[in-house]
Amino acid sequence: MSAQTTIIKRTARPRITFEGVTAALRFILLDPTLLIAFLLMVLLVGLALLGPLLWGIDPLKLDFGAVFAAPSPQHPMGTDSLGRDIFARFYSGAQISLTVGVVAVVFGAVLGGAVGLIAGMSGGWVDVLLMRTMDAILAFPPLVLAMAITIGLGAGIETAAIAIIVTTIPWYARLVRSDVLRVRSMPFIEAAVAIGMARWPMIRRHVVPHIMPTLLIQAAASFGYAILALAALGFVGLGAQIPTPEWGAMITEGLSDALTGRWWVGVFPGVGILLAVTAANLFADRARDLLDIRAE
Amino acid sequence: MISFLRMRLAGALATIFGASLISFILLRVLPGDPVRLIAGPLASEQALEGVRRQLGIDLPLPVQYARYIGGFVTGDWGFSFTAGGPVREVFASRIAATAELALFAFVIAFTAALILALLATYRRNRIIDGFVRVISTFGLGTPQFWLAMILLIVFFEQLNLFPGPSGRLDASTLAPPRVTGLLTVDSLLAGRWDAFSQAIEHLILPALSLGFVPFAFLVRLLRANLLEMSREPFIVVVRSKGIGYWATHTRHVLPNAFLPTLTASGLILAELLTGSVLVEKVFAWPGIGALVVDSILRQDYAVVQSFILLTAVLYVGVSFLVDMLYGVIDPRTRNPVSQRG
Repeated sequence: MSAQTTIIKRTARPRITFEGVTAALRFILLDPTLLIAFLLMVLLVGLALLGPLLWGIDPLKLDFGAVFAAPSPQHPMGTDSLGRDIFARFYSGAQISLTVGVVAVVFGAVLGGAVGLIAGMSGGWVDVLLMRTMDAILAFPPLVLAMAITIGLGAGIETAAIAIIVTTIPWYARLVRSDVLRVRSMPFIEAAVAIGMARWPMIRRHVVPHIMPTLLIQAAASFGYAILALAALGFVGLGAQIPTPEWGAMITEGLSDALTGRWWVGVFPGVGILLAVTAANLFADRARDLLDIRAE
Repeated sequence: MISFLRMRLAGALATIFGASLISFILLRVLPGDPVRLIAGPLASEQALEGVRRQLGIDLPLPVQYARYIGGFVTGDWGFSFTAGGPVREVFASRIAATAELALFAFVIAFTAALILALLATYRRNRIIDGFVRVISTFGLGTPQFWLAMILLIVFFEQLNLFPGPSGRLDASTLAPPRVTGLLTVDSLLAGRWDAFSQAIEHLILPALSLGFVPFAFLVRLLRANLLEMSREPFIVVVRSKGIGYWATHTRHVLPNAFLPTLTASGLILAELLTGSVLVEKVFAWPGIGALVVDSILRQDYAVVQSFILLTAVLYVGVSFLVDMLYGVIDPRTRNPVSQRG
């Protein structure tokens, strides 16, 4: 209970202080699950940021003198059918996946949160219309809908990102709406109305802080989904296009070489996906245990 | 109960209507110019006009939508120019392969999840519990198509234990006479043991790849439900009456832990449907999933469109059915007033 109130207090006035950051870091270091998730993320983000500086090989550079080189100190993850360095493509893939993950989470959380907030606060036909629309989106398995959207908008990383965002919006909207309905019936909202507080300041000050834990948990889970979905779209040819070093598309390329002994072409990108998604899921699980007010 | 049923049915129909609008807009209205695609880049203006009229693209959108839905309901799902036949016939010829694979994947996933969840929670076995938690965490982050590739590398290329990506039977084997379309069943009916064992061998790797994610999901859910149930007061009562631990676990904890699992069947179906799209291609499995991937690559959208709308109908239909089943199995949920959670 005390942990929850401090979180709510802290999110009420989001200010990033040095003490706050060190306290958060200490908390992560002392929690094994969070520590694993954190270290995996540090590894991938580190590779994505430092890879180009330290390794510095162009992920698109062809080298026909070194086609299908097995992993070695010169090429830690080997080379593919065109002699491209797979390690360079691996960290470039990390850049792409992590960026799309962050973009998808930010837009999904903001848009989905807004839909849920508006539906929950206004009620009536606005609520019905918004939530019916969400239901219609949820009528498709998310990846199938994402495929349809990328077909409609044209294949590519940007449209894949849009498709991923659209499919995540209803998840946030539903959770946030039910949170809003729960909070709305609480005495302090009644009190705020009674003392004549205006609608929007009240929502900002007294409702939004209460939906933050839900948003955070869902955001972590959606981050993993976004990376997995981007790879799946890339795999069926609807996401990143050749020769972009995107993990899913790299697996497609590696597939034809996998059974001729060149396992490294397709295996490493999948490891990247697995690690990134696992980190996100671990974080989401732990955050759910720590923050979920309803799980009593 | 009747009013609850009616309300749920109306909700499901409204959802399907919304979904059909979405798929209409995404796959009929948005994607470029299908006329050019069909008539070819050298077609004359007159030929284009002809194709346009034939497809009904010159009509206003609401009329087009009505025709689209009318066609779908009456079984006219369009023409697949890559497969060279009506979409419905192409689907019909491939559905058995997909169904057999999905069924196998589900049975493997469910059995494995049930056994592991029971072992993990039975007397809180630490080692098995740890194993279950690790494998389910990784399972939810595994791209199925990548797992498929790994399984092929290890069990086909390296160990040569299972056949490679060559479809449902060896090329030299004659398929048994078609009765159900499920090769395992048909070969048994025909008494063809060679075909039967081959069909099973060919199924194992694809089914493992397809079933891994549902397995991870199920084992996690079952484990959590079992743990939660075993803490309920009535379990303590059963135990204090002298019923053995294992009997309590399987006879009282398990049935109650199953109910929430049933709600997840929609999710599992979705996982199997999308999974089939991602996995079948890797194994050259002659099912609908592989067809959809090929159709996406060749821009044969009649196939994709039908698949997407069918998926939505199936998905909504299953969750509706589950809701109804829930009422039958657990009478406590029949009356909306006493509905819990």
